[in-house]
Amino acid sequence: MLHLKAHAAILKAYLKIMLTYRGMMILHLFRVVLMPLVIATAWLSIEKADGNPYENSDYLLYYLLVPLVMNLTNSRSVFRFPVSVRDGTLSRELIKPYPPLMNIVIESFTNNLQMLLYLVPFTLISVFVFQSHFDFSFLNYKLVPISILAIFFGALTRLLISGSIALTGFWLEDVTTLNLLLNGSIWALLGGMIIPVATFPEKIRQIAELLPYRYMLSFPIEIFSGRLTTLAIYKGFAVMFFWIIIFSFTARFIWKRGIKIYSAYGG
Amino acid sequence: MKISTPNCDNCVFTEELGRDFNIRQKSQGLAASIKNFIRPSYKLVEAVRSLSMRIGFGEIVGFLGPNGAGKTTTLKMLSGLLFPSRGKLEVLGHSPFSREREFLSQISLVMGQKQNLWWDLPPIETFEIHRSIYNLDEKDFKGRIEELIDMLEISDCLETQTRKLSLGQRMRCELAVSLLHRPKVLFLDEPTIGLDILMQKKIRKFLLDYHARFKPTILLTSHYMDDVAALAKRVIVINNGLKIYDGLLSDLTEKMRPEKIITVILNSETFPKIEIPNVNIVSQESNLFRLKAPRENVGKLAAALYNTGLTIDLTIEDTPLEDIIGNLFTEKSNFQQFRTNV
Repeated sequence: MLHLKAHAAILKAYLKIMLTYRGMMILHLFRVVLMPLVIATAWLSIEKADGNPYENSDYLLYYLLVPLVMNLTNSRSVFRFPVSVRDGTLSRELIKPYPPLMNIVIESFTNNLQMLLYLVPFTLISVFVFQSHFDFSFLNYKLVPISILAIFFGALTRLLISGSIALTGFWLEDVTTLNLLLNGSIWALLGGMIIPVATFPEKIRQIAELLPYRYMLSFPIEIFSGRLTTLAIYKGFAVMFFWIIIFSFTARFIWKRGIKIYSAYGG
Repeated sequence: MKISTPNCDNCVFTEELGRDFNIRQKSQGLAASIKNFIRPSYKLVEAVRSLSMRIGFGEIVGFLGPNGAGKTTTLKMLSGLLFPSRGKLEVLGHSPFSREREFLSQISLVMGQKQNLWWDLPPIETFEIHRSIYNLDEKDFKGRIEELIDMLEISDCLETQTRKLSLGQRMRCELAVSLLHRPKVLFLDEPTIGLDILMQKKIRKFLLDYHARFKPTILLTSHYMDDVAALAKRVIVINNGLKIYDGLLSDLTEKMRPEKIITVILNSETFPKIEIPNVNIVSQESNLFRLKAPRENVGKLAAALYNTGLTIDLTIEDTPLEDIIGNLFTEKSNFQQFRTNV
C-alpha cells in the first residue's frame, strides 16, 4: 500500500491532537450516550403492543449497544469538508501527493476510535450492573465476527453517504440541512435509533430493510443479538453492498464535477 | 485539459491560459436580497484572460501586478488547484490538474503561513508527517531537515505548538516543510507578507542560498518589490489577466524609471544655481534637498554639486520599484505609455 505509512502518521497525529483536547471528548461521550439512554428509558416504561417481538431485556441490550455501533459507524466528514471548501483549506490537501479526502476520513475515524476509550468501559460496567435484567439466551458468540464485519461495511456505507452529501459543499454554502434531512432524521427513524427496526410494522420494516440506514446501526446489533436467520444476514449484506456501490459512484461523480468548479479562495 | 505537444525544454509552459469565475452579485438592502433570492444574478469575472509564457528549468521569475491582476489564480492553476477555463498548460511535462503523484511530489506551493504546517502540532511533527506522505528515505530526511534547520535558523521553535509560534518563525517553518521533498518547482505567493524587514531579508537570503544550491524553478508573487528585486532577474507583469511585460527586471526599470533620486545635504538652506537640464527639486527640509534628474545627467549633477563647495553629503538612489509599479497601474496614461514602451 503506497500510502500506508502516511495513513499511520496522520492517524497518530490526530490521536495526539485529540489527546490535547480532553474536555471535548467528554462532551462527545455525553452526546453519544445520552440520547439512546433516554429512548431506552422511554421504551422500558411504556406498555408494549401485541406482536412486538422485543421484551424489556431486548430493548436494554439493544440500546446498550446503540452508542457503541453508532460511534463506530459515525462519520464527521460532512461537517469538515464543506468548511475546507469555503475557507480554501482544501487546497492544502490538493497540493500533496496523498488522497485529498483521506485526511478528513482519518480524522473522523480517529474520533470514533478515541470514543471507544469511554464507550467500552461504559458498556462493560452497564452489563455488569444490569446483568440480572438481560436475557443472553439469544446470543451466539460465533456471530461476533460477522457483526464486526457488518459494522465495518455499515461504517463504509455511512461514510459514502455522508461523503456524497459533504461533497455538495462545492456548490452549497451550508450542507447541514441536507445532511439533517438525508442522514440525520431519516437515519434516526429508519436506522433503528428511535425504534428498533425489528419492531417496525411489517410494511415499514420491509422498506427500511431496502434502504441503507438500517445497515449503519440496527443490522450489526440484530446479527449480534442472534435475531436474524442466515438468509436474512446474506440478504442484509447484499443490500448493503448495493448501496456501497451506488454511493461510491455518486461520491466519485460529485467529486469529479465539484473539483472543477473549486475556486480555492483563501487557504 | 488536452495538451497538444510535450514541452521538454520548458519547466512551465502556458498558452492562452485563462480562468473565469462566476461571482454571485447582490445589491444592498432587503428588497435586493429578496430579488436575488428569486432570481440570482451572476457576473462572469475573467481572473486570467489569456496568458502565454515559457519558463525554463532553474529560473526565478517574479510575477508583478496590482491586486486582482490574476497572479495568485495563475499560481493556483500551475500547481493544479484550479481547473483552467481555457488554454494549454504544462508544468514539468504534466498537466497539473490531473494531480498525478509524480507531479505533486516535485512541486511546492507556499501561500501564507498555514499551508503545510499542522496548527495543533509542533513543526517537527509536521516534518515527520511530510516525510511519510512524500515517502522520503529516513537518512535523506535527516540530512535535509538538519540542513534546513541550519539555513532557516529554526532549531529553537521545532517543538513548540505551531499556533504559538511568531509569524516569522511560522513562515520559516512553512518554508522548511515545503522544501523537505526538495521540489523542482516552487510556487511562492507573498512569502514575506506581514514580516518585519529583518525577517524579510532573512527569507530572501535563504531563498537565494537555497536556489544557488539546488536550482529549483521559482515563481514568486510579492507586493514587496525588494523581494522581487533581490530574487528575480526576470519578471512577468500582468494586469487584468493579461501579460503586459515579460523580460528582465533591469530592462523594465530602465524603461520605467529613467530618473534617479539625489539626496543632498548642503551647508546652506538655499539651493545653488546649477545649469543642468531637467533637474527638479522634489522636496526640501531645511538644508536637505531631494532632487530628480535623468540618469544621463546624474554624474554631471553630482560633480556640479561638489564643485559648489556647499555639499556635506550626497546619495544617489533609484526611484523605488514600488512607486514605479504602483504608478504604472494607478494611472491609465502611465499604463498605456508603458505598453507602448514595451
